[in-house]
Amino acid sequence: MMQETFEPALEFLQQLFQAATAEASVAMRRWTHGQISLDLNGVQELPLEEVSTAVSLGDELLTMVVLTFQGEVGGDMILTFDENNGRQLAAALLHRPVSESPEWTALERSALCETGNILSCAYLNALTRFIGVELVPSPPYFVQDYGASVLEQALMVQAAQADRILICSTTFHREGEALNWNVFFVPNVAMRAAIAAAVEAAS
Amino acid sequence: MGLETSIATVKPISVGMGQMAIAKRPGTITSVLGSCVGIALFHPRTAIGAFAHVVMPSTAGKQSHPARHADTAVPHLLQALAEQGATTFGMVARIAGGASMFGSGGPLQIGEANIAAVRAALAAVRIPIVGQDLGGVKGRRVTFDLTTGAMTVEAVGEAARTI
Repeated sequence: MMQETFEPALEFLQQLFQAATAEASVAMRRWTHGQISLDLNGVQELPLEEVSTAVSLGDELLTMVVLTFQGEVGGDMILTFDENNGRQLAAALLHRPVSESPEWTALERSALCETGNILSCAYLNALTRFIGVELVPSPPYFVQDYGASVLEQALMVQAAQADRILICSTTFHREGEALNWNVFFVPNVAMRAAIAAAVEAAS
Repeated sequence: MGLETSIATVKPISVGMGQMAIAKRPGTITSVLGSCVGIALFHPRTAIGAFAHVVMPSTAGKQSHPARHADTAVPHLLQALAEQGATTFGMVARIAGGASMFGSGGPLQIGEANIAAVRAALAAVRIPIVGQDLGGVKGRRVTFDLTTGAMTVEAVGEAARTI
């Protein structure tokens, strides 16, 4: 049976994800020529009924890159942008003007997916070192949909077995200015258990 | 939020995962649904309605938040509506959601399970489903209009439809 609450270990988890986010931020700076960095918003454990309010994705369409960590110990990572910010990132990475076409080209999609790959690898490296289990990400896929609906699906596996949801959220900055991008990391049940065991062993 | 106890008439109410709300004409209730299923119950004579954002099919006997599971959400909505004078007689349901957002190959097909559980819960209390927009692989933004009882469903790249 899954541990019902992480409450006593949240501070420890905060430090773990802080380190993972720092690694991801270094990778992101390298990928964007020093323009963009990341900060951990926090690791939260909260009732499912409070998630919609806490993460405030709203009910607008978002551009997202989703990666699933495959295997028994896994989870999902969702990188979200509003349309404008997603276009700006793609244009910056491709050294092109911001596209005004309603359709995303294969190249633009690929640039965003590669960003997801880079971030997920940085997070996975930090997590793998801590929990001692090799994590394998799926190829990233590009999706445009309502952000809340995609996050909802990612939370399902945890919601099936626990009253409280563990979620890690991160925001991005460009030269100190906050961007409307987010990364959500949602571990599955086995990863929650692996993290809990690692926290217990380390404390 | 378990249930919005005040009856909203003007300000739209946004209902998140596992939440429920009640409103009356000319109010509106909105929600974004993925694999969850939204249940909108409407009583035409009193123009009172209630909405639940159902996350999972069944409580499996566990004590939990009533709107989170299909088997407890329907009775809870009916009780809330009865307290406002809306009886089961004449009540109709519209349901939407139950998508498989990450494809349909995995072991946890929660969208389909939610649809089946919601249908069963409504059948158990003999409330007819007069409109539905279910399944698929896309999220939905729904708006439940308490003036007409209709629900507008929007999905990416598709024309809005009213059920």
